[in-house]
Amino acid sequence: MRTSATERPGFVWVAPALLFFGLFGLAPVLIVGYLSFTSWRGLGDPEWVGLANWAALPGDGQVRGGLVITMTLTALCWVTQTPLALAFGVWSAGPQRVRAVVSAVFFLPLLLSTAAIALVWKALLDPNFGIPAQVSEWLGLSHSNVLGHSSLALYAIVFIVLWQFLPFHMLLYQAAARQVPRSLYEAAELDGASGVQRFLRITVPQLRHTIIASSVLMLVGSMTYFETVLLLTAGGPGNATRILPLHMYNQGFVAFEMGYASAIAVLLVILGTGLSLLVVRATGYSRMTSQREGM
Amino acid sequence: MSRTHRIRVIGSTSLALSLLLATGCGTSGPGGGDAMQVWALEDAAVNEIVEQRIEAFNGTQDVPTELVTFVNDAYKQRLQVALGSPNAPDVFFNWGGGNLAQYTQQDQVFDLTQALEDNPEFRDAFLPSVLDVAAIDGSYYGVPLLGVQPVVMYYNKPVLEAAGLEPPETFDDLYEAIDVLQEEGVTPIVLPGAQGWTQLMWFSYLVDRIGGPDVFQAVVDGEEGSWEDPAVLEALEMCQDLVDRGAFGNNFTSIDYDNGSASALLANGDSAMFLMGSWDISRQMEDSPEFVENDELGFTAFPVVEGGAGEPNAIVGNPSNYFSINSDSEHTETAVDFLVETLASDEYVSDLIDVGQVPPIEGIEEQLQESDHAEFATFTHGLVSDAPTFTQSWDQALDPAVAEAMLTNLQLVFIGDITPEEFGQAMEQTR
Amino acid sequence: MATGTRPGTSPGTGPGAGSGSPGRRGTGSGSGPGRGPRRGPAARLVALLRPRPGSRPAYGAGIGAALWLLVVCVPLYYLVATSLRGPGDYMSQGPLSVPETLTLDNYRNVFEVGFLGFLTNSLIVAFGAILLVLLVAVPAAFAIVRSRSRAVRISFTLFLLGLAVPAQAVIIPIYLIITRLNLYDSLPAIILPTAAFTLPISIVVLTSSLRDVPGELYEAMALDGAATWQVFLRLVLPLSRPGVVTVAIFVGLNAWNNFIFPLVLTQSESNRVLPLGLWAFQTQYGTDVPGLMAAVVLSTIPILALYLFGRRHLLSGLAAGFGK
Repeated sequence: MRTSATERPGFVWVAPALLFFGLFGLAPVLIVGYLSFTSWRGLGDPEWVGLANWAALPGDGQVRGGLVITMTLTALCWVTQTPLALAFGVWSAGPQRVRAVVSAVFFLPLLLSTAAIALVWKALLDPNFGIPAQVSEWLGLSHSNVLGHSSLALYAIVFIVLWQFLPFHMLLYQAAARQVPRSLYEAAELDGASGVQRFLRITVPQLRHTIIASSVLMLVGSMTYFETVLLLTAGGPGNATRILPLHMYNQGFVAFEMGYASAIAVLLVILGTGLSLLVVRATGYSRMTSQREGM
Repeated sequence: MSRTHRIRVIGSTSLALSLLLATGCGTSGPGGGDAMQVWALEDAAVNEIVEQRIEAFNGTQDVPTELVTFVNDAYKQRLQVALGSPNAPDVFFNWGGGNLAQYTQQDQVFDLTQALEDNPEFRDAFLPSVLDVAAIDGSYYGVPLLGVQPVVMYYNKPVLEAAGLEPPETFDDLYEAIDVLQEEGVTPIVLPGAQGWTQLMWFSYLVDRIGGPDVFQAVVDGEEGSWEDPAVLEALEMCQDLVDRGAFGNNFTSIDYDNGSASALLANGDSAMFLMGSWDISRQMEDSPEFVENDELGFTAFPVVEGGAGEPNAIVGNPSNYFSINSDSEHTETAVDFLVETLASDEYVSDLIDVGQVPPIEGIEEQLQESDHAEFATFTHGLVSDAPTFTQSWDQALDPAVAEAMLTNLQLVFIGDITPEEFGQAMEQTR
Repeated sequence: MATGTRPGTSPGTGPGAGSGSPGRRGTGSGSGPGRGPRRGPAARLVALLRPRPGSRPAYGAGIGAALWLLVVCVPLYYLVATSLRGPGDYMSQGPLSVPETLTLDNYRNVFEVGFLGFLTNSLIVAFGAILLVLLVAVPAAFAIVRSRSRAVRISFTLFLLGLAVPAQAVIIPIYLIITRLNLYDSLPAIILPTAAFTLPISIVVLTSSLRDVPGELYEAMALDGAATWQVFLRLVLPLSRPGVVTVAIFVGLNAWNNFIFPLVLTQSESNRVLPLGLWAFQTQYGTDVPGLMAAVVLSTIPILALYLFGRRHLLSGLAAGFGK
């Protein structure tokens, strides 16, 4: 673009957005760092305590346990969502009308809020009035405990998260699959490649950027599973589903140990921000942006 | 109308869990001025009654009194900050027990012992076990202002009858009932174990029955080793034993109190017994009116543990809330007058009864007979009247951080993930 | 952008915006334009069975899709069926049985316990956040695209960094800021942080939609002697419309569904938004699961309407989160 006499908008056009975002988006990151060195019980002024909160972190079994559960949950969610979203996304990208209709139904969970989904599933999984009661009757099981079961509870959450977020990732893959050049498939067909071969040799490599981006969204988005867990099990039974963000929330807003909770929060910011920055580096914004426009 | 009130009360028992209540700073701070300030929790029904009493009181005084109300849990924090500052209230609402002790330790609460001595009729109007919750080291620092809410054992009469059982009076009775009921295909006891405070009711009652009230007092006082007291460990073992016997069925960790399923399971006969706060009667009235009207809902005291050191008729629950006076107040005399004239007055007590409360006042049986669920109200009142001690819900009495850890660890004991000894060790570390 | 519900028929702005099937006719399928959606059953069957480039693996995925269809539909059926059940029906009948008696009482009850208040609050929060974001984001995007200033470039980098900050993790300092601003337990307490955390993506979306505007248009206006604000009003605003629609939907949905901000930053019933209202409904009205389900259905209707009448916009708004 050649330089001209055009008057260009200056910093003042960005200033309101920056100021606003600075106050509510960036300042909290700095403040949470500061708070992690204080003792603060919610009201009054935070009191400087140095490294006390940080020193307590490694000894907190719930932090270690919470990290493990968070990572397990994230991994299970990735393992279940990615193949299904990829398969359904590519499938729904096909031109057939029936696929369009079916995928329109698949998208329906996107319309419900996290709170709504959690409450519907909680009622549905009720041990006495929900599906487990009937299933255990048919199968003659000794219990119909799902959300209160030490290992089933986590799987139930993985499943509900899958139910909620699969359509979103499917949407990404659907859009990306439509961008794959036809000619690649036609060439492969001439070579006599089977459908499965075409999927593995053309579709998957062509969608690798989408796979990376969608995976990153799942990793970073695992922070939002917090709401689902809070509403469904509140971390229980015992500690079975106590993911790290929930532990932070409990320490902050139930136990009123806001300083200590801030130390956990810093850990979360580092994990969440670190992950997404890593991916931004790996994939680049321009690519992600252009893919988004392809929606 | 008392519905909203009771719901609030349900909430306040589960404060430590009730996440909505978790935050603070709602109402703007109190203005200074010469008025005498009374701080209380927001509660439409009760606020109105207190307002009326204040109005009546103001007619007789030079110093005007005003009521300032606050949203729930933020209040504790706000009060802690305000006491000792120029913006402090003159009269303040509190939970008694450990909550009140926090303030007395800082010498911020006016000692009411002398005032009670001077007004013996006023003092004797209250049920001793409830008044005693506001006694710290032998001195009285607060006066009850709301109704009592002990934890009681509800049972389904037809279900027990069909199994040929009487409501259990001792743990031996209870164990027998558990075996018989299981053979009948009934879950002996419904325990909404998705929420830790329901398990706390069993645990704290057992500690009291086995070791008496001093065991918990030691915990509140932060004494070293108090979480590893033999009575604590034995109570936890008994909890695990109940789980192993199948007392709570196989699904208890999934059952939720808030969504009403526990109360429904008792009402529809899937379960025979239910240990819950006295507020649950309103939920049954609302959700299963026929169950209550047909006199199928029974209630009794928590069973006795044979050989336990605790009193057989001691109770656990939410004794009441209390009004205390700020020791720095310029209006302590007026404040004492206000409390003495108001809290045991006929108008105040009958207004409380009208909104469904059971005030901790002697000799109101007749009035209770005419209230909404007279039989239950009389039973509750009798239970509290006869109780030598009334132990406050532990999650209320303890620091919120300790309470949170306790509820989590307790849940782990109930699902068998940790042993009673490990519970003790984990809780000792929270100190 | 056209408001048609069929993707692919509107003249999109992005590179791939026009390629959305099933409107993608004539490519590889051999069916003529306009015939695609109206093929006869036999032809459709043939079309389904015929190997189709890019639509593989069809059979495996097709069976999987049928199963998933069931998984999606069962809870939705449960939701709607339960919301229509009579009071005794819920306890006595199985969760998936066909309701014996249908009643709208549950819906009526929902209105009696303050649903309209929650709905109003949710609408205020959603529109407040949309307005706030657009007010600051559109000028910012304009500056980012057109400005050569270093400060603007640095600002853009800050927004990009902000994309990566998880709102849940900084809820404690947000609580601190809101209480210090004396906003605790008010609707602005929800609007401000919601807007702030949707701002980075909004700016990225608006920036990329403005980048497609050829520089010559700006030059031409400059030659006409237009000032920056005139360029903004007459050129930028009209041209950023598709981006604005996407951003509005993205921000609106975020505000509508947000749970953690209202949970931590509000308290009283008069400031309760729908997701919290649903939760409170469960704890306050006991066993009334049918009532709860009716409330869930009602809370979803506005979004469902958006889905039915503006599916393409809704999906693009949803996918705006992709940048995050």
